[in-house]
Amino acid sequence: MAEATIKFSGSSHMKHKLILATLAGKSIKITDIRSFNGGVQEYEINLIRLIDKLTNGTKIKLHPSGTEIDFIPGILHGGSIEHQCCVEKSIGYYLDVLIAFGPFCKFPIDAKLKGVTNSFDSPSVDHIRSSAFNIMKRFIIEEDAFELKILKRGMMPDGGGEISFKIKPVLKLRALQLVKTGMVKRIRGTVYSCKVSPTFSNRTIESAKGIMLNFIPDVYLHTDQHKGKSSGLSPGYGVILNAETTENVIFSTEIVNMEKGILPEDVGKFCANKLLDEIYRGGCCDSTFQWLMMLYMALGPKSVSKVVTGPFSRHTVTYLQLIKEILGVKFKIESYEEEEDDEDDSQCYKVMVACVGLGYTNLAKRAL
Amino acid sequence: MGDDANFMDKKKPHKAKHSGVKAKKKDEKKRKQFPTDKQKNPKAFAITSARSAADRFHRKQDLRTKKHHIPLVDQTSVDEPPPIVIGVVGPAKVGKTTLINNLIRNFTRTNVTSINGPVTIVVSKKRRITLIECNNDINSMIDIAKCADLILLMCDASFGFEMEIFEFLNIAQVHGMPKIMGVLTHLDAFKNAKALQKRKKLLKHRFWTEVYQGAKLFYLSGIQHGEYLRNEIKNLGRFIHVMKFRPLTWRGQHSYILADRMEDITNQETIRLNPKCDRNVVLYGYVRGIPLKKDSSVHIAGYGDTKIDELQALADPCPMASKEKKRNLLEKERLLYAPMSGVGGIVYDKDAVYIELQGSHSHTKENSEQSKLVKEIIEKKETFDQQIKNQEFRLFSDGDVIKSKDFQEKNNESESEEENLSENDDDDEDSGMDSEPENYNESGWNPNEDDQEDEAESNVDESDEEYQEINENNDNNSDEEEILGSNWKEGVADRARDAYLERKSNNQSLMKLVYGKYDQKGLQSNLNNNEGESDDEIGGLFKSVSKKQSQLQQEKQQKDEDDSPFFESYGDGIRNWLSDENKKLLANHFVTGKWKSSEDAEQLLELDDMSDNDSEVYGDFEDLETGEKFEGKESMNDKNATDDEVTKDEKSQSRKRCRVEEMNMTRAELMAKKMKLKAKFDAEYDNPELKDSHHIEGDEAFYEKWKAEAEKQAEINRKEFSGLDEDVRNEIEGFRAGLYVRMCFKQVPCEFVTNFDPSYPILIGALNMNEENVGYVSGEVKKHRWYRKLLKTGDPLIISLGWRRFQTVPIYAKREDDLKHRYLKYTPNHVACHMSFYGPITPQGTGFFAVQTISNNVKELKRIGFRIAATGSIKEVDKSTTILKKLKLVGTPIKIFQKSAFITGMFNSELEVSKFAGAKIKTVSGIRGQIKKSISSIRADNSGKHLSVEPGTYRATFEDKIKISDIVFCRTWFKVDVPQFYAPITNMLLPQEKKSQWEGMKTLGQLKRERNIKAEVDEDHLYKPIERPPPSFKPLVIPASLQKALPYKDKPKKGPLNPKQKFEETRVAVVHSPHEQKVAKMMNMLKTNYIAKKNKQKERSNAKYIEKIKAKQKEEINRMQREKEVKRKIFKALSKIQSKEEKGEKTTGGKKKHFKKKN
Repeated sequence: MAEATIKFSGSSHMKHKLILATLAGKSIKITDIRSFNGGVQEYEINLIRLIDKLTNGTKIKLHPSGTEIDFIPGILHGGSIEHQCCVEKSIGYYLDVLIAFGPFCKFPIDAKLKGVTNSFDSPSVDHIRSSAFNIMKRFIIEEDAFELKILKRGMMPDGGGEISFKIKPVLKLRALQLVKTGMVKRIRGTVYSCKVSPTFSNRTIESAKGIMLNFIPDVYLHTDQHKGKSSGLSPGYGVILNAETTENVIFSTEIVNMEKGILPEDVGKFCANKLLDEIYRGGCCDSTFQWLMMLYMALGPKSVSKVVTGPFSRHTVTYLQLIKEILGVKFKIESYEEEEDDEDDSQCYKVMVACVGLGYTNLAKRAL
Repeated sequence: MGDDANFMDKKKPHKAKHSGVKAKKKDEKKRKQFPTDKQKNPKAFAITSARSAADRFHRKQDLRTKKHHIPLVDQTSVDEPPPIVIGVVGPAKVGKTTLINNLIRNFTRTNVTSINGPVTIVVSKKRRITLIECNNDINSMIDIAKCADLILLMCDASFGFEMEIFEFLNIAQVHGMPKIMGVLTHLDAFKNAKALQKRKKLLKHRFWTEVYQGAKLFYLSGIQHGEYLRNEIKNLGRFIHVMKFRPLTWRGQHSYILADRMEDITNQETIRLNPKCDRNVVLYGYVRGIPLKKDSSVHIAGYGDTKIDELQALADPCPMASKEKKRNLLEKERLLYAPMSGVGGIVYDKDAVYIELQGSHSHTKENSEQSKLVKEIIEKKETFDQQIKNQEFRLFSDGDVIKSKDFQEKNNESESEEENLSENDDDDEDSGMDSEPENYNESGWNPNEDDQEDEAESNVDESDEEYQEINENNDNNSDEEEILGSNWKEGVADRARDAYLERKSNNQSLMKLVYGKYDQKGLQSNLNNNEGESDDEIGGLFKSVSKKQSQLQQEKQQKDEDDSPFFESYGDGIRNWLSDENKKLLANHFVTGKWKSSEDAEQLLELDDMSDNDSEVYGDFEDLETGEKFEGKESMNDKNATDDEVTKDEKSQSRKRCRVEEMNMTRAELMAKKMKLKAKFDAEYDNPELKDSHHIEGDEAFYEKWKAEAEKQAEINRKEFSGLDEDVRNEIEGFRAGLYVRMCFKQVPCEFVTNFDPSYPILIGALNMNEENVGYVSGEVKKHRWYRKLLKTGDPLIISLGWRRFQTVPIYAKREDDLKHRYLKYTPNHVACHMSFYGPITPQGTGFFAVQTISNNVKELKRIGFRIAATGSIKEVDKSTTILKKLKLVGTPIKIFQKSAFITGMFNSELEVSKFAGAKIKTVSGIRGQIKKSISSIRADNSGKHLSVEPGTYRATFEDKIKISDIVFCRTWFKVDVPQFYAPITNMLLPQEKKSQWEGMKTLGQLKRERNIKAEVDEDHLYKPIERPPPSFKPLVIPASLQKALPYKDKPKKGPLNPKQKFEETRVAVVHSPHEQKVAKMMNMLKTNYIAKKNKQKERSNAKYIEKIKAKQKEEINRMQREKEVKRKIFKALSKIQSKEEKGEKTTGGKKKHFKKKN
């Protein structure tokens, strides 16, 4: 009866392997985790703890050497949880799990996560709120299905931030056809700073806005200044820029700065250029959350979902392989050209991905 | 002439059509010609009562919404749907086989001697059917109900409906009701027409109550020459032809296969060595339901869960008729495919397949073709690679034969060539390309793929340069990282030019880059490995060997690489977008840039204006608009007009220039509005009926929109992958419904083959994600009304759920109002209750039913009456359960204070008490309290000594003082575990005679009955004679004060006042003197004398008294005699007088006498 376990080796993409295995209900075994490099890290243990909190009946066996994990997933449970995230990674790293599980849990997730809210290793909570939520909105029709509040900001290395995240379960996702990127109609952004002088944020805004105004007049950046308790335990500041298109696609980029040597003007400029890069790449989702798009497409109903994205990131390529291996969904991947060919020299390469969803339904939810 | 007239007379009279196309047409015509009553006199139809109008309206709406079904995305394929499964079900000896035979004969004009297993036939141009007979085993009935699209429910009319039919209907209902048609046979048993009619009516109505009102019931009136009447069968066939089906939920979410062929492909030698070895089994059948994924696990009903080892699509053995336009099927297109029963060219045996060489049948050619095909398949088994190598094909009819062998070499050559080129060009360029040749080798040669390749090759011939470019682009596209890294600076225009070619050659390679090798390692190492390149070109095997060392290192790095979800930045990092050349690239990504012509509001407006000039319709709409907007628009148009006039030449430039966004918006809005109005007009124009029928506008908009969405999705589903190569398509989409597939299963127990019985359906159901796991499943269940017994918690039950049939141990519970599941020992009657069991995870809402036994034993059947014990549906799935049993803990007080008391006997230890601290308790008399704290000792009453108490004694407080005789309760809940027992029924593995007698776990009652074990009776439960000791009451005590007040007669009289001094003690002893003695003697004597005297006197007086009495008696007697005498005399005289009077009366009349007598 029990499925043969899927075997992996190496620590890379461990989070996604665990997420996919839990969704698929397949047991996995990961070996050779940093065999000569200290085995499983603290943040990964922390992640496993979070998964354990969200599920019921999960069996995890971590070998004493710390280089091997046996994972037998249980049923997605959800509920109200409180979790102290490891400060080695930002909360965004853990929030991915909640985003992936949320729609398929038995009970709505009401999570309070503590730790680092903004850092450069993983997408920050602001980034998730803007672009990941934008993707989720397309698959989950229900209003107010999810919500993220930043209660406190916390920067590396000590964290001290706090967010609350709520998501309601659904019975199933919908199939999505999304081909049009649209044109960027507005640019919004936030510059947040914790335990640093407000001038930093103003200087950042100025430089970022200066670049954006070359392209579009509708640019609005606001500051999010934190002091005292709500500013966490470490100083730092950062900027997040969102570009929204006429088809309501949102591209986001973020730069976090905690070092003293870098000028805020440079931070703003860098972030603006990065956003322009993202806009140039195009597609119907943020390049950082291509994986989420693919995941929801694969978990969709037994119908064709079709989405145009920008060029794949390396992460996405691996993710597609993982989806094939664990969920068994293969995508049709084509390069995509827009119909209009008059002078297409300004187009970056785009990829059209299409797949037939699994027909995944929320098995855990109780039918009344 | 006369003849002619006669002929005219005989002519068939015209029969006006009442339904159908013609009738409709006529109706339409009539309506147009004559105005309806309503049109003629509209006032008569005006609303007179608002109330009744509202009622009418409501009713109409009700009827309309009743017709709505939830729009589902249509999963069925239009071009080649799988054959419709028709299950023929009924009790034994009812004529099932005869019916199948007759149907086959009706459709294909062939006689099939023995039918075993499913028979597939082509019925019409658009329809194939698979006929399957259901034997009389409940297992088969279940499987048939799960896979059949149409059920022919056969019934012996002379006998009536049997239990099996009702059982089957219940089974079918639970698993998603397929279409059901009843067929009554043995109608010739009725000699009396009236009785027959009555019987038919009775059965029809019974059938309707079971299925639905108006369900189709066929009457096969009798048998002639061992066959049913041809006309009746033809009619039945017609009904089957045109039958429509509604999608069923379960089958709309799962793919399934009804296998029509089974083969054992185990090596004969291993079987010879060990006849009990595990076998490799191949099953064939049409995919049904939704597309079947290659790596999904399946459940074979009656065997268990397995993985499909190999899955291939085969050529259809029973293909649909050609698409030519003609009325009927050609004789040779009436195909019949029944491998298990030995038709369709193959005779099926346990471990061999015989190909029948057809004799005199009309469609010999077809069959030989088929057999050839089958032969090919059979021969294919091991030599697939070889076959591929030797395959050849012709591109053009007069072209050279292309051999795959040649091609592969060629391919390698071209690859190496290309790599040389790219190396010359730029060392960084050659990225993922070298993974390609491997992939070709892996995936094997494929004709369709090669078509594309050939095209590319032909391009090579044309110009080498172009080819180089293409390849470059290939590399670039396949790995976009490169584009950004270095290529974006170079002229991108070249790329656009070759867009088409690229796409052609690109798409495959893009997919191959992602999926070519599952692990990223190989790909990545190739990307980074530039030095190893020169070795690579040697090709084939050498490459991998040479790479090994560096690859290993790479792999190691890769394995533990930190994964970042961000898009990597390349080379010089983020570029400066403010530079002019970059700015140009980006400008059109913003609303301020140039829009696509299809979206540009200005152009659209222009187009619109042009169309406006053509048609008057649009002008009308604009007039309808409100004043302000109309003006606004006017001015806009004016402005546009002037614009157009002034800068006609610079139009293209003006388009590019930045516009104010707001204006843009208003234009877009106007445009949208216009389109909306147009759509509205179109809708109204197209179907004017909507307006007539008091339709509220937009009341069905939601439903219509939903429906349209579903249809659109279905269209996309059909079209999206239709252009793809079949293999790729199957991999992405899965094997679509309608494909004939071959599935190989490895490590199947030998009993599957040795005990194979074709009369049992082989149902292979695919399992969706998560459904192969087991967990605790809970559902709502109701005991069947016809099942005679109650179901007991903990008794094993056989459940049919999803594809599976399995035995498990359920626990029944009732969900209380606070959502707690309270344990029940038995199922309640006529009420649904909850049931939890350990079993396969299944989606919510899936129906299931339970039986206690599947045996066909007549005796057993008689005992239980109806086999289906319960029906229900799944509600929830989890990995733990929360069923609670009520538990009352009992304690007694040992010492009571004012409001608190010490309670003992409830717990056994201090720990237990502390666990329950604060819990509510209650006495029998209803005084509520709370557990406080455990105590170890109490103080004895009088002395200050501490007495130790039983462990687990505690102090509790109550709302009032309790009595020492009170019993204290603590109401708690005890968690009941659901036993982890789940055993799939494996009747496929049982020998033939035991197939219907699968027996799993027995119930406790069964075991006890078998082993004759009686439950040991507790002594306390037995009745004993009742002994009642006589009651002893307390003496009545009356207080002294009260006694004093009482009257003497009521005073208690209990001896002397001073009870302490006895009576004897008060007496004084008397001693007589001699004189006194004399006196006393004298007195004594006198007394004696006196007594004697008295006695004599008494005697005398007694005698006197007796005498006196005697005398009195004598006198009495005398007196009586005297009186008698006197009386006699008187009566005599009286009678004399009377007789005299009578005589006198007789002379006067009789009336008086009569009256007197009466008086």
